[in-house]
Amino acid sequence: MRVQDFSGKNLDRIMAEINYDISLLYVVPCIYTRNLILNHLIDRISMVESVAVAMSQTVQPQILPLQPGVTPIADPPALMQPMAPGTQATFTLQELSRFDGKGGNPAYVAVNGIVYDVTNNATWAAATHFGLTAGKNLTNEFASCHAGQPILSKLRAVGKLETM
Amino acid sequence: MNTSNGSITCPEYKARLNTAASLVETVKTQIRQDVLRKRNLVWLELTGCSGNIISLLDGSNPDFKYLISQMTHFIYNNSLLASEGQNAMEQLFSIPGSDYILAVEGAVATKNNGLYNIIGRLNGKWITALEAVKTLGEKAAHVIAIGACATHGGVSAARPNPAKCVSVQSVLNRKVIKLPGCPCHPDWFMGTIAHILLYGQPELDSRDRPLLFYSTLIHDRCPRRSYFDKGIFAEKLGDKTCMFKLGCRGPVTRIDCPIRQWNQYVNWPIEDDTPCIGCAQFGFPDAMEPFISYNITRGVKK
Amino acid sequence: MSKKIIINPVTRISGFMEIQADIENNRVVDARTEGLLFRGFEKMLHGRNPFDAVYFTQRICGICSTAHSMASTLALEDAIGVIPAEQGRYLRDILHGCEFLQNHIRHFYQYTLPDFVKLPEDYPLFKAEHSDFRLPKEKNDRLVKDYFDSLDLSRSAHEMLAVLGGKVPHNHGVFIGGITTQATADKIIKIKSILHSIYQFINDRMLSDVYTIAEYYRDYFYIGRGYGNLLSFGCFNGYKNLGTLYVNPLVYIGGETSLFNPDNITEQIDYAWYKDKQSFSKPLEADPEADMSKPHAYSWVKAPRYNGLPFESGPLARQWLSGEYRNGISTMDRTIARVLEARKVALIMNTLLENLIPGVSVQKEYTIPETAVGKGLIDTTRGALGHWLKINNQVISFYQIITPSAWNLSTRSSNGLKGTAEQALIGTPVRDINNPVELGRTVRSFDPCVSCATHIYTGGKHINTIQVIP
Repeated sequence: MRVQDFSGKNLDRIMAEINYDISLLYVVPCIYTRNLILNHLIDRISMVESVAVAMSQTVQPQILPLQPGVTPIADPPALMQPMAPGTQATFTLQELSRFDGKGGNPAYVAVNGIVYDVTNNATWAAATHFGLTAGKNLTNEFASCHAGQPILSKLRAVGKLETM
Repeated sequence: MNTSNGSITCPEYKARLNTAASLVETVKTQIRQDVLRKRNLVWLELTGCSGNIISLLDGSNPDFKYLISQMTHFIYNNSLLASEGQNAMEQLFSIPGSDYILAVEGAVATKNNGLYNIIGRLNGKWITALEAVKTLGEKAAHVIAIGACATHGGVSAARPNPAKCVSVQSVLNRKVIKLPGCPCHPDWFMGTIAHILLYGQPELDSRDRPLLFYSTLIHDRCPRRSYFDKGIFAEKLGDKTCMFKLGCRGPVTRIDCPIRQWNQYVNWPIEDDTPCIGCAQFGFPDAMEPFISYNITRGVKK
Repeated sequence: MSKKIIINPVTRISGFMEIQADIENNRVVDARTEGLLFRGFEKMLHGRNPFDAVYFTQRICGICSTAHSMASTLALEDAIGVIPAEQGRYLRDILHGCEFLQNHIRHFYQYTLPDFVKLPEDYPLFKAEHSDFRLPKEKNDRLVKDYFDSLDLSRSAHEMLAVLGGKVPHNHGVFIGGITTQATADKIIKIKSILHSIYQFINDRMLSDVYTIAEYYRDYFYIGRGYGNLLSFGCFNGYKNLGTLYVNPLVYIGGETSLFNPDNITEQIDYAWYKDKQSFSKPLEADPEADMSKPHAYSWVKAPRYNGLPFESGPLARQWLSGEYRNGISTMDRTIARVLEARKVALIMNTLLENLIPGVSVQKEYTIPETAVGKGLIDTTRGALGHWLKINNQVISFYQIITPSAWNLSTRSSNGLKGTAEQALIGTPVRDINNPVELGRTVRSFDPCVSCATHIYTGGKHINTIQVIP
């Protein structure tokens, strides 16, 4: 699924897709197709779940979700999990810029002071994402597109951005 | 798998033929039985490559002959119209006032008040693309923006956007059905038209794309998905594995290419061993580039 | 006392164009072709990833996108020093051949035929105002049938292209080294079987259709000659084992054929809507800014010249230069040459298919040099197409495109020489000044593609000319 589509505003659309998937399941006899639709459906349901969790916590200022490793889709998003030990590296902007996802370097981006690994994130093909490139502080860009979406919880945090 | 009549048909394959085709079949029957009337269709070409009308001619399910003879009164298209000059423009501008569906391909050039794209001369006066789409767009029963340029500016609006191109929606204060793609697949258009004839406007997502075609990411139905999940990535074009590291935009592009395929359903970009370049996603091309990269990290060095 | 005729839009072309003609005693004494669409592709390409040019430049033109993938690929190969394998060239040229067939069939039936054949008027698309339809009913009916039947064949030509090119318009297959995928036996046989039915259609019906038109419109052998200067960059040529299957890079002027030299190409912008610092430049030199306020300018199409002279490019030029057809140079010869070329290309494709080795992969990982310069010149459906590019800091720093339609529909130049199609209109008799069907017939014989011709360059002056694309 495309995480940036995920916001309260889009809830109606997500529900429409869920209904559409369910109606398809009634008529599609091919087992492979059914599995694809089921995957899609699970994906959408997890989005709705995440919205619910995010909404229940709107009173608190958003605390950056940090979770090492890839979050399985079925897991509820761990919004407040503390950073795992050993991921406390700090990066200056200049150091961060080396992690552009090219020539053997992983692709890192910083949001709200935390550095995330997007090397194998599906929406970051060729270490680029809707015209943005890796190795940068993308706090503002993130806020303008994904405010309120539980995207960061699915990314692996690798350290902090040194603030100066 | 179905095994009726001794032949094996994957329902998914059948479904992709049927979404557009079965709608069209119903239209055909109802028009023959006089239940449904043909509607006027105007196809404007604006600032673009006129590739969507070529793509429409490549359609087979139904085909162009069928569209103009059985489904619609096809009033105007610059690439196909027999008449020319003043007569052609009169034919075009006689249409407001009647019931018609407006299909638009190409972006709207706004530089110099639209003079970067002139589509004809009516009574001696130049008619810009901007003026034409405003005049015809406000009065149409439905407006369908076809292809990337019409839906969001597309390649015509690529940085630095020399002709100051914008989408059809940006100059119209009304609902515009959007069929992004570069070009638009003929079935996406035919299916939308058939739906309009039968039931009115199809169900749209929050960005006005018909859910019938634009509901699912390419990535979710990609035949090479298992390679992605296992982290097996192609190193060059022509490889048979996941094209993610070369720049595949399948994970951000919501369209049915993997099951529909192109040109009589014979192939599609990923089957051709190349990455999806996100041509059916808003933001194409600038937000979907680079299209092809070779130096992207696959295994992270320690 | 001269009268002015203006035709706008010129329908049944790709893109937007206006014809202005001055008529005296029912003959054209002056003419301008104006390209009325500007997008500025050359500017857009600055700063982009060089590999992206192959897919990006295809968006210049929906009917001849493969042509741009060919020229941009050749320019990139030149810049980064890749020499494609012979199998890669065969595969790529097969894709290019599919586009020739698609284009020629569509141009002849959907774009040309309505000028000469009365189509059924119960279709709003086919209403025609003039009355100069000369075919007897029985023959007219046959051609109408072929108008509709041809739709299946041009579509099949694109289907063939997609078998190896992924999709079309805007294919994914043509790329550095040849094509992206491998031609397996099943794909080869599929293409062969489609090609067979297309060849039969061309041979059995399209040829007799064009000769039927020629029989009833003989006067068009004497209309629309132009300068008679012909040029080709060559195509389906110079294979290691197969030699030249069609035409080498040649020019023809004043009865003499000579070798084409790319250094002799210049572009002039005296009458095109671009700011001019100098009146003409070589392709790798200038990329002028758009300027619609320029006095005297009348078109977005620039004026490419060879040795300072306007040239015609396209099927007739190629048929003439390769010695396949030398009946004459006129509106009707141009139309006949297009059909003959369709048959020729089908035969060439068959030869290339016979020489394919199934399952060969021609792709490698490519790297972009810090700086490089490259050019890609090739004859495509509408004629001579050139892409020139410079790479700096591993991105495109300069891009120049000169399209076939720029050659054929160019504006006039400072020495007063009209563009090729403008010149071809001079002397055309116009029977009914209110329905000047004669002008469109001649302009369409060049298969104008204004999307292509005006794509690009910003610069110079505004001339009264039409632009065409390859």
